[in-house]
Amino acid sequence: MSLDTLMRGDSVLEARGITKRFPGVLANDAINFNIKVGEIHAVLGENGAGKTTLMNILFGMYQPDEGELFFNGKKVDFKSPLDAIKLGIGMVHQKRKLITAHNVIENIILGHPLAGTILNINRAKEDVSKLSEQYGFKIDLMAKVWQLSEGQKQSVEIIKALYRGAKVLILDEPTSALSPPETKSLLASIKSMSNSNLAVVPFITHKLPIVLAISDTVTVLRRGKVTAHFETKGATEKSLARSMVGRDVINDLERVQVGRGKPILQVNTLSARSEKGPLAFKGVSFTIHEGEIFGITGVSGNGQEELAEALAGLRKVVGGSVFLDGQDITNSSCLERWQKGVGYIPAERNDVGSIGDFSLTENVAMNYFYDDQYTTGGIIRYNELRTLTEDLISEYGVATPGPDTTAKSLSGGNLQKLILARVFARKPRLIIACLPTQGLDVGASEFVQNKLLQAKKDGAAILLISGDIEEALSLSDWVAPIYEGEFKDIFAGEDATLEIVGAWMAGVKPKVD
Amino acid sequence: MKIGSYELKLEKREHLTRLKATLISTFSIICALLLFSLIFVNAGISPITGFQEIFSFAFANRHGLPLTINRSIFILLCTSAFIIPFRAGLWNIGMAGQMYAGALGAFAVLYAFGARVDPGMYISPFIGIPLMMLASGIAGGVIGAIAGYIKGRFNVNEIVITMMINFIAFWLVSFMIKEGGPFMNPVGRSESFDLPVSLRAPLVMGVPFTLIVALLISFTLHWVFSKTRIGYQIKAYGLNPAAAKYAGMNPFKITLMVFAAGGAIAGLAAYHMFAAVPGVYKIARNYVDFGDLTFYGIISGLIANGNPLAAIPIVLLFGGLTNGGRFAQGRLEMGFGVDFALLGIMMITMVAFQFFYRYKIVWIKPNKEIPDGRVIL
Repeated sequence: MSLDTLMRGDSVLEARGITKRFPGVLANDAINFNIKVGEIHAVLGENGAGKTTLMNILFGMYQPDEGELFFNGKKVDFKSPLDAIKLGIGMVHQKRKLITAHNVIENIILGHPLAGTILNINRAKEDVSKLSEQYGFKIDLMAKVWQLSEGQKQSVEIIKALYRGAKVLILDEPTSALSPPETKSLLASIKSMSNSNLAVVPFITHKLPIVLAISDTVTVLRRGKVTAHFETKGATEKSLARSMVGRDVINDLERVQVGRGKPILQVNTLSARSEKGPLAFKGVSFTIHEGEIFGITGVSGNGQEELAEALAGLRKVVGGSVFLDGQDITNSSCLERWQKGVGYIPAERNDVGSIGDFSLTENVAMNYFYDDQYTTGGIIRYNELRTLTEDLISEYGVATPGPDTTAKSLSGGNLQKLILARVFARKPRLIIACLPTQGLDVGASEFVQNKLLQAKKDGAAILLISGDIEEALSLSDWVAPIYEGEFKDIFAGEDATLEIVGAWMAGVKPKVD
Repeated sequence: MKIGSYELKLEKREHLTRLKATLISTFSIICALLLFSLIFVNAGISPITGFQEIFSFAFANRHGLPLTINRSIFILLCTSAFIIPFRAGLWNIGMAGQMYAGALGAFAVLYAFGARVDPGMYISPFIGIPLMMLASGIAGGVIGAIAGYIKGRFNVNEIVITMMINFIAFWLVSFMIKEGGPFMNPVGRSESFDLPVSLRAPLVMGVPFTLIVALLISFTLHWVFSKTRIGYQIKAYGLNPAAAKYAGMNPFKITLMVFAAGGAIAGLAAYHMFAAVPGVYKIARNYVDFGDLTFYGIISGLIANGNPLAAIPIVLLFGGLTNGGRFAQGRLEMGFGVDFALLGIMMITMVAFQFFYRYKIVWIKPNKEIPDGRVIL
């Protein structure tokens, strides 16, 4: 039976009783679900709920320990992703898998069975343009991939999967790196795909509004099991969150008002270069007072991460100055800044914020190895650090067997809790939090946000860099949208609206009515 | 893979217990010895006799044991010299050059005392020996620090730098001790002048005191890595440089320091070999052989996984096998290079068995309850 005879609403990919075990973990526990032609079927779950495992099973990267997959009513065994691709399953990973030095069309035809030994770029270009027009993707096929924005790169990957004849398209966190306008156009494309009888399966961690906006059906996973399965029509954000977390989640954060204290951080016309050479951000000026959260929001790659690094002393500045408590720290080393009360929570919690092979105690030592409180004459008092780690683990509710386990065994949320605990325990004057809730599930995000608000109440100045515009708006006293390394404006928190800040993030001047 | 109705599967190890690591190492040695038996069989010698010769000379012979120990001390120092940068994630391939420099340093002290002109002169060992050790350490350390500086400042690959410095140091020694060189032995012979008798290193039960120095260094390193701030920084930088920078550590200082420290210890290895091992007492004509021997420090350090204490039994094994292999070759009238063949096989198996540090093979019995549908790798 060919796929083309399938009618809208027929089952195209079905999982029955999928179980997958990893040492010590039951990642998927008897999962059933059914993807139908022309359906947008969102899979929702926190980190560690088993989404990634399920996705990898559907795409043939893992093989299930128990259970069966049916494609088009026939039982299938995927030995590798190639088998899945042959049948018409396409996948767009969260991590981009493109060759950045090549142009778009070259990336799209890479590995395509019809590409042949001698490339017929022109024919391919014609086909691909038709395809992208049909689904509303606007992309210059001759542009080099490194020139594209994150959203455009994702479109390239989607087109690539479609060009290979995907009938089922699995999308991993499709909107996590996109600006609001890009998200909007992606959602439109997804809609038009489903109208042309494709099944689209987005896997989503925490963007509940997106789920409600696009999907027809939602399957919710928690701890490896399907906890809910509903038609989106009848669902609300609250009901989704409840079945995802297993309890009610209060999503409305109160912006705490704290009396304005003295200025802690003053940044004057600061500029620094990126690794590639051009200025990553230029002429940035702002001040953060005691008990204030200053939010910088932007699409990833617009200089905000470099700014955080420059303020933490990890990136050389080419102009401007930085004052902490009235003291010039423009040329202070990273360690001096730690000692003077800067606390930096980096975006990459695995690659920068922690050392996977170190125990939790040794990870806590990252912020104490220089501290006289825990060292004598160059010898680290590990026993006392271990006690401190135990205290932090219980205070922050880090789920772990104990301080001697390695950091790599922690889940993303627990690792972030440990990093926060370690940094906050130093009672920093200035906290630089770079994408602190990125990739965290609802429960963990809520925890992190509350800790930031607590630190604010305790009088710290907080620089919050966030790609999640709603988070930035709800937490910050000041919001600065950043685009191509420049602040487009600085708004008082209560004046900033989603529309205005969102437009600036995309580099567009908002229309004022 | 499927064998009969059983399934063989490769799985990544989550963690490795110390006992398992030791078992894997032991098993790799047994495998190497079994493989080497083929060479004995090929030469028409019973493997049992062969190994008996090797091991009894290396570890139970009045003449053989001191030779084994002297070699092992040398390899142990080189292993420590390798391990320090290794724990910082850096590869010191330059122990040979650092060792050559250490040799020149030690003999420069003698030269300054005038020992070249007057080989019979008396120099107080209480002054001469510490000075020689200090000089060899400093010379090796400086050579190491050059590599560390270039790596730390300009991020040039440290393997290339240390390797190239090896050649420079090699020819420098040649220049110094061969015909017309300032350290030339007055009698000729392409070696350095002799160590004055008064400066021969004191022996403890027939073994030079450098044994204690080498062991002390290993234990100190173990302490440094497990207790001190500097050891913590080295480990952190080695495991995750970005995280180390984030925590405020200085990569340049760490790189410079580990190479200087490693170089200094490699320099001491030269003091041990050319001024403490009985019967040598000069920079020998075949000094390049000892340069080659430093490379066993790399392999021992790797097998010990950077653990300075775990390296001790390993260097003893290597020291013994090179020594016993050479002896057995003559005794059993075998072809040239038995010791090299033995070490070569041993290294290959040990490196191959490193695989099992990271992976394990699991057998899966057929499961009657799930009829097919199982995926076979």
